[in-house]
Amino acid sequence: MNATATATASKNALELRNLSFFYGKFQGLRNVSLDIAEHKVTAFIGPSGCGKSTLLRTLNRMYSLYPGQRAEGSISFYGQDILDPKQDINLLRARIGMVFQKPTPFPMSIYDNIAFGVKLYETLSKSEMDDRVEWALSKAALWTEVKDKLHQSGLSLSGGQQQRLCIARSVAVKPSVLLLDEPTSALDPLSTAKIEELIDELKHDYTIAIVTHNMQQAARCSDFTAYMYLGEMIEFGATEQIFFKPERKETEDYITGRFG
Amino acid sequence: MPDKHLSSQFDSELNSVSARVMEMGGLVESQIRQAVYALSQFSLEAVETVASMETRINAMEVEIDQELSSIIARRQPTARDLRLLLAFSKATANLERMGDEANKMARMVRSIIEGGAPRSLPSSDLRVAAELASGQLRKTLDAFARLDVKAAVAILKEDDLIDKEFDGFVRKLITYMMEDPRTISPSLDLLFLAKAIERIGDHSKNVAELIIYLVKGKDVRHTALDEIESAVL
Repeated sequence: MNATATATASKNALELRNLSFFYGKFQGLRNVSLDIAEHKVTAFIGPSGCGKSTLLRTLNRMYSLYPGQRAEGSISFYGQDILDPKQDINLLRARIGMVFQKPTPFPMSIYDNIAFGVKLYETLSKSEMDDRVEWALSKAALWTEVKDKLHQSGLSLSGGQQQRLCIARSVAVKPSVLLLDEPTSALDPLSTAKIEELIDELKHDYTIAIVTHNMQQAARCSDFTAYMYLGEMIEFGATEQIFFKPERKETEDYITGRFG
Repeated sequence: MPDKHLSSQFDSELNSVSARVMEMGGLVESQIRQAVYALSQFSLEAVETVASMETRINAMEVEIDQELSSIIARRQPTARDLRLLLAFSKATANLERMGDEANKMARMVRSIIEGGAPRSLPSSDLRVAAELASGQLRKTLDAFARLDVKAAVAILKEDDLIDKEFDGFVRKLITYMMEDPRTISPSLDLLFLAKAIERIGDHSKNVAELIIYLVKGKDVRHTALDEIESAVL
């Protein structure tokens, strides 16, 4: 698939062109081109090893932590090329936040979990910081549950609450894009529903890209869906179309649970 | 279903409900044939048979609907599986209505027999339309089983034939009624009979449209024939 998939005429937060990714000699992504629309939820689905998490990790250059991994092509983030070696990675990650599969709160208080990242980029007074913490926790629909125990450890929260704490932590630095890598795969259905509800809320202010193994989750909460297989993007389109009448047989076989 | 799901249980559920829908279709088809026979032979026995099949068909509609909702609730089907189940649900509703129309035909035949209709009325003219309608249902079920879009489009075209037969028949009845007012009452029975046949044709057409929906993902209801042809063939 070399053709560029264009989801919509609206503004794009990220534009990927001929993106390839290599883990040493192994090629994890092959010539992926697609647009991630601003203030929309774009879901990436596909079997294990199809490259969807790899793709998400290139979007904030998470891979730069590991030697031997490299990306080719271009990723334009509002006109600025993320893959440019001169790109300030710390600034980039403040603008493009990420939440992982397993909740990863820092071993510190709920309050400090939020304030920690903010302090790296901004100098706020105590009251400004209090406001920011409340704002971020409210955004992540966690405030009412934790407002009386802000100084307890983040690790004392339930799995679902910890995941929302991680989302609050990402939101606190006011990014423009949120990358969610299987954010609910370790959570029970109720916590999952809360996170999905949250995704719906957050998309008014943020652009969201989500990787999920749960196809129904992609169907429920995304606007656009990309189906990936063996490092290639097989099909990209409006979620409704992908789940009702996909263009490609490979996509249909996958989402209906047939042998490929 | 040509290819298989990872879950063979899902496959067997889909196969089972497909078989039930086809069985129901076969039942309705033979009910209509009985109604046509009742009409051509003025057979009260055939009239009874039609009525008794009605109960069985109604029960099948309910059972199939239960199976469909159970599959949807447990499997969350998508894409063609979803379209298949939606198409089955609508197809069974149409089949059940066809059964009602066949039953209506039988009731009219009974009324004509009991009222001692004059032989002069052109009841045999209806046989052509009735056979067209029952043949159309057979072709529709066949196309459904084979997911044959071409055949479905051909069926949509044929519906016009039945409609034309109906219009011609109505004109003919009017002349009979004008000539001899005593024929009005039995003519009205014949008119209802003709209408039932015409409705059976319409329901077949609805089912044929569902085949296109299922295979192509396009809803072609209320769409002109030439538009449908250029969109799906």
